[in-house]
Amino acid sequence: MKEKTRLLPLLLVPFLLSGCGQVNKYAEHLDDYVFTMKYHKNFNILQLTDIHWNANTSTFESKNYLDKVLAETQAHIKAAQGNDAKIDLVELTGDMFMLSNAFQVDSFLKYFEQKSEEYGFKYAAIWGNHDRHGIYNPNWLGQRFAKAKNSMYFEPNDDVYGRSNFIINLTADGNKGSAVKWQISNLDSGASFSETSVSPFRDYDYIRQDQTKWWLAEHAAAGGTVPGIAYYHIPQDENLKLYEARATYTNKFFKLEEFADNGNEEYASDFLDTAKDHNLRGAFMGHAHNVDWTVKWDNLIVGLGVKTGIELYYAHVDVNSDDPAMKEGLASVGINENFDLIGASLVTITDEEDNIQGEFDLEHLYLNERKSGDFVRWVKF
Amino acid sequence: MKKFFDKDNFITSTFNGNQKKQSLIVSIALIVFFVFSAYTFFNAMYAFADCIGSIVSGSADAALRDASRSLPLFLSCFMSIWALLLCHGLFRNVDDVKRVKSIKKNAFALLAFAAVNFVAIIVMLIMGKFHSLVEGSPSPLYPLDSILYSLVFVALGVFALLYLKKFQEKLPYEVPSRGPVVKKARGLYCTFMSFWMLIAIFSFAAFTIGLFIQDFVNGYLFFSIALLLVYFVNCLFLAVWEFYYNELKEEKRKEFLFPLALCGLIVSVLVAVLYFVGLGVNLDGPSNAGFGILPVAFAASVNIATMIVVATPLIVSVVALIKGLLLRKKA
Repeated sequence: MKEKTRLLPLLLVPFLLSGCGQVNKYAEHLDDYVFTMKYHKNFNILQLTDIHWNANTSTFESKNYLDKVLAETQAHIKAAQGNDAKIDLVELTGDMFMLSNAFQVDSFLKYFEQKSEEYGFKYAAIWGNHDRHGIYNPNWLGQRFAKAKNSMYFEPNDDVYGRSNFIINLTADGNKGSAVKWQISNLDSGASFSETSVSPFRDYDYIRQDQTKWWLAEHAAAGGTVPGIAYYHIPQDENLKLYEARATYTNKFFKLEEFADNGNEEYASDFLDTAKDHNLRGAFMGHAHNVDWTVKWDNLIVGLGVKTGIELYYAHVDVNSDDPAMKEGLASVGINENFDLIGASLVTITDEEDNIQGEFDLEHLYLNERKSGDFVRWVKF
Repeated sequence: MKKFFDKDNFITSTFNGNQKKQSLIVSIALIVFFVFSAYTFFNAMYAFADCIGSIVSGSADAALRDASRSLPLFLSCFMSIWALLLCHGLFRNVDDVKRVKSIKKNAFALLAFAAVNFVAIIVMLIMGKFHSLVEGSPSPLYPLDSILYSLVFVALGVFALLYLKKFQEKLPYEVPSRGPVVKKARGLYCTFMSFWMLIAIFSFAAFTIGLFIQDFVNGYLFFSIALLLVYFVNCLFLAVWEFYYNELKEEKRKEFLFPLALCGLIVSVLVAVLYFVGLGVNLDGPSNAGFGILPVAFAASVNIATMIVVATPLIVSVVALIKGLLLRKKA
């Protein structure tokens, strides 16, 4: 019996191990979170969101579609900005995968590595709620993105919520140490959580206070005044509040479903409220596929990117629909034919290198593959 | 404890050498097809969950498109499960007549699934749904691998039918008999057993895959271990039922069911408690470290899927406990 009771402390091992491992304090490692790229006028950021490669996906067809999006965007950029212009950065704002496997992850990375070389862009991957949901270890997925040659991704074991939060500073010469012109933040807005261990439902996650603090510290480290854009996956409570007050704000595009934040004041994020006062100029996310509604909230533009590709679900925009939201969206974009709400979003930072004002253009691309010829529309915000 | 494992407790103790050998072969086949069923079911659940996701999000067209592309995944799952049923029918049945019937029925079903799979892939190739025989995704050789998989099961179905023909419905292999199911409870019994089998099959895949894909760091260690234990207990219970309880002689089943069920209840209560403690430690555990092996994508917004997996061994134990008590009373 005595022998058996001696074994009881072993039951505590899992609890002890749960907290083990070296956790770095972000405040002491701010520089580790930072990637840099050279800033130039007309810096182009293409947002691809909710690609959702899954068990049912024909990656053959999905790659064809992505090929068209990239080629169309590059052609559009060149037509507007000249032959030297290109896509500089691709932001993959979450749910790249859902119910996927390691083979598909490898195919996805191989594709983006190949396209990076072809077009000369870098790409940044952000966690969506479904990227954690596949036949692979989430840590392995992070390592694959961290190791990919043209990917910008950082996953520390730190005291900031989320698997991966990192910064891309656009600097004068592309190196750390030179003047930061713009700051691109990539935040992990989590997945979902139970309020208690017996809750029947789960709430969507939100950007936590410690992430906001981390962002403020990174912004301060870049000078404290640089304009910034934040990319993340799950819309926060501000989207809905702004939508409800949309009559007072410049707004555009479609809102054909709920934003799908957790809708709970208790779990509301303070990120946008705080960052708005620190020169955040844009906040772009994904998650709700049938929404690309965008609003100008004082100096901050908040919006959902256009869902990329046909996986899982997407909206069929119908010009004959009686749905007021559909009518409102159609009127805002000025399109008079049926189409599917899929494509991509493009941010072009228009500031001169030596005169940073925090200005950028936002355009939504609607691209539908059709046998009779693809449907392609660019709509500027 | 020794009395539970006395070799005279088991039906096989009355077998001659040849019967023991055949019994072993069928047991191995049963395990092999259980493993096949587990992984194909796991894959099919992935494809199915995505389709359901499309439907509940209002894109039934996307669900239909995806379901047709993944038809070989679903049919592969059906083939594996029917091969398992075929072996099980060979292994245990009420009598020889029922055994022959069951083998015939399952062999024909197996051949039908394999044929439909083969034809469907060819039709989809012709229609351009698949761009080549090795288009790739979700596996590098998809859908060719599914065609090859079908051929294995065609061979198995044909073998089963030839086996029956050769022995002209008088099989040389005496099976450990299974008691007849009471007619009035047949529907309920079959539903319950099918549900339990599916949960256990999925749990086996989830447990073994989970060993590799669970996040045991980033503070999720305890939750991940608790979740794996839930799945382990589910498949353990089925293994005990199939390879221990069903192997016992009739009188021993009556004697051992109650203590077995009681042990099962204690274990399942402990594991359930451990799971909820683990969830309490990591309220974001399922979505951040567990969704890979949770049954459906809707686990994203509801916990019911996990609750079902946690509750299954409890339900199985309680049902067994009640049955054990009734058997004791009768005795």
